[in-house]
Amino acid sequence: MTTSPTPALTADLLGALSRLVGSRWVRHRPAELATYAADGLPTHESRPGLVVLPGSRSEVAAVLSLLAERHVPFVPRGAGTGLSGGALAGGDAVLLTLTRLNRILRIDPASRRAVVEPGVINAHLSQAVARFGLQYVPDPSSQTACTIGGNVAENAGGPHCLKYGVTTNHITALEVILPDGSTATLGSPQGEPWGPDLVGLFLGSEGMFGVAVEITVRLEPTPRDIRTLFAEFTQLRAASSAVSAIIASGIVPAALEMMDQSCLEAVEASIYATGARTDAAAVLLVELDGAPEAVAAEAAVVEPLLRANGARSVTVATSEPDRARLWLGRKKAFGALGRLAPDLAVQDAVVPRSALPDLLDQIAAVRDRLGIRISNVFHAGDGNLHPCISFDRRDPRQAAAVVTANREIMEACLAAGGSITGEHGVGSDKREYMPRAFQPAALDLMCEVRRVFDPDGRANPGKVFPANVCREWRRGDRQ
Amino acid sequence: MGDFTSLDPCVHCGFCLPACPTYLATRDEADSPRGRIVLMRALERGDLSADDPALRQHLDACLGCRGCEPACPSGVGYGRGLEEARRRIAASVGLRPLARLTLGVFGRSVAWRTAFGAGRWIRDLGLAKLLAGSGRARLGFGMLAATAPGRVRQPTLAPEAGTGPTVALFRGCVMDTLFGHVHDATRRTLAVNGYRVIEVPGQGCCGALHDHAGDQEGAARLGRANLAAIGETTDFIVVNSAGCGALLKDYGHLLGTEAARRFAGRVRDVTELLADRGPVTGGSLPLDVAYDAPCHLQHAQQVQRQPLAVLGAIPGLRVHQLPGSDRCCGSAGIYSLVEPAMSRMVLDDKIEAIRSLTPRPDFIATGNPGCLMQIGAGLMAAGLATRVAHPVELLDWSYAAGGRYR
Ligand SMILES: Cc1cc2nc3c(=O)[nH]c(=O)nc-3n(C[C@H](O)[C@H](O)[C@H](O)COP(=O)(O)OP(=O)(O)OC[C@H]3O[C@@H](n4cnc5c(N)ncnc54)[C@H](O)[C@@H]3O)c2cc1C
Ligand code: SF4
Ligand code: SF4
Repeated sequence: MTTSPTPALTADLLGALSRLVGSRWVRHRPAELATYAADGLPTHESRPGLVVLPGSRSEVAAVLSLLAERHVPFVPRGAGTGLSGGALAGGDAVLLTLTRLNRILRIDPASRRAVVEPGVINAHLSQAVARFGLQYVPDPSSQTACTIGGNVAENAGGPHCLKYGVTTNHITALEVILPDGSTATLGSPQGEPWGPDLVGLFLGSEGMFGVAVEITVRLEPTPRDIRTLFAEFTQLRAASSAVSAIIASGIVPAALEMMDQSCLEAVEASIYATGARTDAAAVLLVELDGAPEAVAAEAAVVEPLLRANGARSVTVATSEPDRARLWLGRKKAFGALGRLAPDLAVQDAVVPRSALPDLLDQIAAVRDRLGIRISNVFHAGDGNLHPCISFDRRDPRQAAAVVTANREIMEACLAAGGSITGEHGVGSDKREYMPRAFQPAALDLMCEVRRVFDPDGRANPGKVFPANVCREWRRGDRQ
Repeated sequence: MGDFTSLDPCVHCGFCLPACPTYLATRDEADSPRGRIVLMRALERGDLSADDPALRQHLDACLGCRGCEPACPSGVGYGRGLEEARRRIAASVGLRPLARLTLGVFGRSVAWRTAFGAGRWIRDLGLAKLLAGSGRARLGFGMLAATAPGRVRQPTLAPEAGTGPTVALFRGCVMDTLFGHVHDATRRTLAVNGYRVIEVPGQGCCGALHDHAGDQEGAARLGRANLAAIGETTDFIVVNSAGCGALLKDYGHLLGTEAARRFAGRVRDVTELLADRGPVTGGSLPLDVAYDAPCHLQHAQQVQRQPLAVLGAIPGLRVHQLPGSDRCCGSAGIYSLVEPAMSRMVLDDKIEAIRSLTPRPDFIATGNPGCLMQIGAGLMAAGLATRVAHPVELLDWSYAAGGRYR
């Protein structure tokens, strides 16, 4: 990204990094680099120059100082479950993998806070705080594998973010190592102590602002009562109108998720089967939580609404195993889709809820015209769509159809007043849509903000912003 | 022979990462299932060759435990892919010297009988227990010491012979020489549950260790010998070692003959046969026990409930849930020998889980010789009083206490 020639990664750098973190934790052989060439969206591939796995925050700082000294670009990486080709580094860059920083440093049940290292796996945090009757709410479907650091960098969402908010609503402080190797504390356990919301600024920065090495999260009490309603529909439009009806009733469910028939077929064939009949056109998963009386009252409204909008069956799960089975089906859906075809392209876009039924029709039209299989599994409650295209990349016709389908769906979402990503980020995958989604002035501002954190443009270069989009590059006034 | 099609469904989602003991130990994706699938696909395409040292290092470091398979929503057949990769590596560059030497011993009954006989002698003199400890060699003595019966006094009275289905006891190599007491317990408990156990001479090692290392020919040679020795006369072939059982059930695939498929269809783990009959309840055994599931039982054979049913037939036994009981202990055939460092890291996680249990169990029950030895040695090295036992040993003691043997 810098205009100065990027120095090739030399044997000398390998030696210097090995001295900092131990040679066992610097991966340089081609086979090892290949295992880091993709994230959860393997349609993008890039082999890093080196992979470094530091074991402590001081090692992270030392590595970043060294890289700054030598003008070497770097890319932070968590578990590599990202779905936008975000945690990929080019051959001239170092991939900084943070999974070894995986300690839960403190749990403070009284003030409902926990302090964790970035490599802690999302679900491990929830398990660790469960004995205090607490939970860490943001629950991306990938929660059994993805890291809190990755969640921070993508501002991850999850089914339960409809009611409780996405990651940014649950982080109160961050220790960040900036690209020059210096350390900055953003926020405080109580929240932002003064002035602008710097924690908020860092959330969703996709590895371009530096490395989060210590994260203070907000914990919530586990709801006293939880009820999960599972409704089968024979019409996709009917399921969408049920979603609108529930939201219009004023009830905010903890989660409101939809899977269409194509997705359901894959899930029911997997070990995470929900038990639904696969001739349903769509299923809705509605979760209500809170005080028992409130949950009962809401269920008394929601269940008739589902039926009135055409649900052919509604089952209610209250026991933990029953609920877990329904949720596993939903949360493992992307993976289950793997059985349909060798390759899968997962998309992510948000549209106004009212536009949902029309958009689903438009997606179906794209599917029929291009003759490809598209499955829908998504956070219906907040209009966050995930069309998933199954294909075989070894077939050039199919590979080309995927590119066309992605573009047409994105354009339809933008035309409906939506945005190009709900929770998976821009990364490599959505870069080209940025100028369509944002005015030049807004893009310039984003680049300026980035320069505050990373003046040399060495942190996760080549992501989010299309080449030459920022004013300084257009003017060519960089050194 | 095989190919890598079982890996095709992989969509690179990463859900398998935290199910993998080696990834949890290093957190390095090169040591993860997804990373290894990338390596195997590169091997398939020819992008990496079978003698690439880094490729071999990370595929060798795979336990073959298949813990990643149930975590995969896409149904990737990791085990089959690994088998093919190891076959190709073995065919092109051969086995590592230590592996070749070890497998050579297992391949010839004179050799393993001598080696394990000497081992038993050291154990019975009490030397193994004396020398057990934490260093690499002392862990080895711990493994030997862990093969001793969980109780000094063994039931001696035989129960009345059963009249039900006939069962050929698969004796194996390690089981036959170091775990004779488990074979005795198997015969007694099966008889109490109505089976007629028949001794079949002329069997040898099952070949699982060869198969895992990529030496399918060595495995097939041993398989054919066992097939010939055991024949087709009994209703079932019973195995009390999960690792052997998994391969015996796979003889159809390994040997590719109709006879081998029929043979494989008659193979049962001892807990399957026992659970089919209840099993019959025994006398009270007031002990604290935690069950640790052998990978080759829960993943390879999909036998999950039956060992717990066996423990459930023992009145007074307090069975506790061991967190991570579905995760490999790092034994994995000859893995602990050829990959000692990684094996130790994985074992340490297991011992830590046992250490944090309250109450601390008297016994860890597990139905595979490798796991019994590995966990047993780990417990001794950590100075914990918890011991290891095969589930049928516990049932056997319970039957003795309940007066079932006369
Ligand atoms: C099957 C499946 C389901 C998914 N479901 C959801 C979902 O419901 N909701 C959702 O939001 N996402 C979902 N995702 C996407 C993904 O899991 C999230 O984006 C997650 O936050 C990524 O975490 P990670 O640890 O894998 O990060 P990575 O993929 O390794 O990295 C993601 C980004 O974060 C940066 N990064 C990582 N760690 C740090 C750090 N410590 N400091 C600074 N930057 C860092 C990287 O540079 C990269 O840009 C899903 C993915 C899959 C495969
Ligand atoms: S869970 Fe399955 S599909 Fe996902 S990366 Fe692992 S093997 Fe591949
Ligand atoms: S078989 Fe076991 S060690 Fe090997 S990749 Fe799968 S889970 Fe990991």
